Amino acid sequence: MKRFLIPLLLIFLFVFEGLFTQLFPADLFNGDYIFVPRFLIIAIFFLAIYGSGKHGIIYGFVFGLVFDMVYIEVIGIYLFLFPLATYLFLTIMKVIQTNIVLVSFVSLLSIAFLEGSVYFMNLLIDITDLDFTSFSEIRLVPTLILNLIFIMIAAYPFKRQFEKFADALRND
Amino acid sequence: MPQFFLNKRLIILLVSIIILVALIGFSIRERDELSWTEKFVKDTTGFVQSLVATPTQYVIGIFENMKDLQNTYEENKELKKHLEDMARLEAKVYSLEKENAELTEILEIEGSIGDYAPMQATVISRSPDRLWHEMIIVNKGSSHGVEKNMAVMTARGLIGKVKSTTPFTSTIQLLSALDPTNRISAALQGDKKLFGTIEGYDKENEWLLLKGLPVDAEIEVDQMVVTSGLGGVFPGDVPVGKVIEVVPDQFGLNQTAYIKPEADFYNIEHVMILTRGMAIPEQIENDEENEEEDL
Repeated sequence: MKRFLIPLLLIFLFVFEGLFTQLFPADLFNGDYIFVPRFLIIAIFFLAIYGSGKHGIIYGFVFGLVFDMVYIEVIGIYLFLFPLATYLFLTIMKVIQTNIVLVSFVSLLSIAFLEGSVYFMNLLIDITDLDFTSFSEIRLVPTLILNLIFIMIAAYPFKRQFEKFADALRND
Repeated sequence: MPQFFLNKRLIILLVSIIILVALIGFSIRERDELSWTEKFVKDTTGFVQSLVATPTQYVIGIFENMKDLQNTYEENKELKKHLEDMARLEAKVYSLEKENAELTEILEIEGSIGDYAPMQATVISRSPDRLWHEMIIVNKGSSHGVEKNMAVMTARGLIGKVKSTTPFTSTIQLLSALDPTNRISAALQGDKKLFGTIEGYDKENEWLLLKGLPVDAEIEVDQMVVTSGLGGVFPGDVPVGKVIEVVPDQFGLNQTAYIKPEADFYNIEHVMILTRGMAIPEQIENDEENEEEDL
């Protein structure tokens, strides 16, 4: 049962993102801003740093693929960017100490990187022609605020859960 | 070869970029059907999503009912006003419908472009990647008879079209998507029908753009816009919205009308997928497909 806990948590977050978008009162602030939930990738970041980095990247790869198939129907974008963002996150974390506040801050930074890369990719494949200023105003900043709130709520439970997972890995 | 190991990460990156480009190229092109892997993954997640969505929507429904109760009194007043009109309208519609049926029988017209059969579906999820991909996932799929490109509406008006189907779910692209290939043939209701295409969405004002209207046409504010039914897949006369503003286009050859959509693109719970009532002859269907490609 314990072995399935992490995949189950990630699957739940994956489904929850879709449900959250569906149920979130989108006409908040006149519907001018778009709040994108990035809960899944936050969990993957925390798994990578407190659990195991290798597992983090593999989960990023798998869930990136599923995310592409289910939610956006263009395969490749998140398949590539989830593992890349996780890798980047781990590289930054190698230089600074693993303090929960710093981890949260770097996660947020990596989400900004992820959002920016998704924007540039969409620009590249002609899905959008929005300029960067509007993008950051409409989507990037509100997204970061929403995810900051989520990180503040979930950081500690995630840390505890993934540290338990790391212990279990070491004991095996 | 120490040099090689130093560059191992670089090689991984390069290979994955090549795979990435190939995969995006494969999936972004106009596809008639999803591959079986995608169908399988979408159906599996669709099952989990509906498992979670059904109870949540039930709970939220209770809260919404409570909220509705608060303004019942005022709503009741308003509705009573409408109700007096209703009886008169109902009688009129009845007689008009009867007259219409008699006349079509005399003329031997089989079906009208405006005929459609609605199919109820419930939204189980929405793409979190909003702004780039305005898509919702509903719980009816190809096994229920949903096909690609069918029109989708809520009780208030058109919201989008079916982008892809799997056996048990289908994905609907909303009109508010920024995707430039999202085009729908529409008509302005007036003394003389004016045709144009709905393409583009003004994110700031939340207006749709109806392009390609003749330059000399007189268009009034508040005129109704409906689907034209000329596209071959969409039924006609599905309400889209009302004209807000008319401007000449870039080169002054056409006019563009800004339309305020009737439907709400945010809080969608139940949708209707419209199956066109009138059959299309095989030959014409093929011709239209070719024309679409020419566009």
